[in-house]
Amino acid sequence: MEPKQDAADAVLAALADPMRRRVLDVLASHGESTATVLATAMPVTRQAVVQHLALLERVALVTSRRVGRERRYTVRPEALTATARYLMLVAARWDTRLAAIKRLAELPPPSTLGLPER
Amino acid sequence: MTPDRVEREILIAAPVERVWAVLTEPEHIAVWFGPGAPSVDLRPGGFMVLDHGDYGSFPTRIEKVDPPNYLAYRWASGHPGEPATDTNSTLVEFTLVAEGTSTRVTVTESGFGTLVIPAGREANASYESHSQGWTEVVQAFARHAEQR
Repeated sequence: MEPKQDAADAVLAALADPMRRRVLDVLASHGESTATVLATAMPVTRQAVVQHLALLERVALVTSRRVGRERRYTVRPEALTATARYLMLVAARWDTRLAAIKRLAELPPPSTLGLPER
Repeated sequence: MTPDRVEREILIAAPVERVWAVLTEPEHIAVWFGPGAPSVDLRPGGFMVLDHGDYGSFPTRIEKVDPPNYLAYRWASGHPGEPATDTNSTLVEFTLVAEGTSTRVTVTESGFGTLVIPAGREANASYESHSQGWTEVVQAFARHAEQR
């Protein structure tokens, strides 16, 4: 169990960075891709993308192969352990709850219906 | 950067007091959390019972209250029906900050690293993520990123 837990922690740590998640998102939507191509779809430099990919590869969330002078990356969704998936679901559920809180809070109270406050 | 932490935020076009009411009043909790019957004892050590109907009821323990800006509670999300303790739960913190006439709400849930997800829940989480699809989960993150 211990090594598995360590691996899960490493995956969670890797996913804790929003830009790194974004790299993973963009890579997932591109299929196989290079850092150069990914960087064109993101607000960060190619060098930053390379660093994120290297870390994602260390925790086995992505894999790469060398083709000529390029390194091409792909997502390995199976590396997302049950724990990491659980955490992603936790985040997705908070998004849903926050959206519901926003809807409720932005409803005008009954007494001021039709009387927008300034 | 803490590895065992989820943080989400949203900008709400309503005053802080209004958002606080939605966050803490049972009639609103019954809408944003779940369809059950919540109850709220809003003081440190008090319990705010979040009720998720079929998924169970969660007696969360209030850690700190500073109306209308900060609320912290522990919840044992993996143990429906069990009161939150220091060891079976994660810490949820809401921070409400006024931005003009709007309110920025940040929620963090932390402490997953010390949690053991119960076998049943792990299977559940795994099942849900398979049925929901990994790509959809990633898209949920992407949508969130776009909101920033």
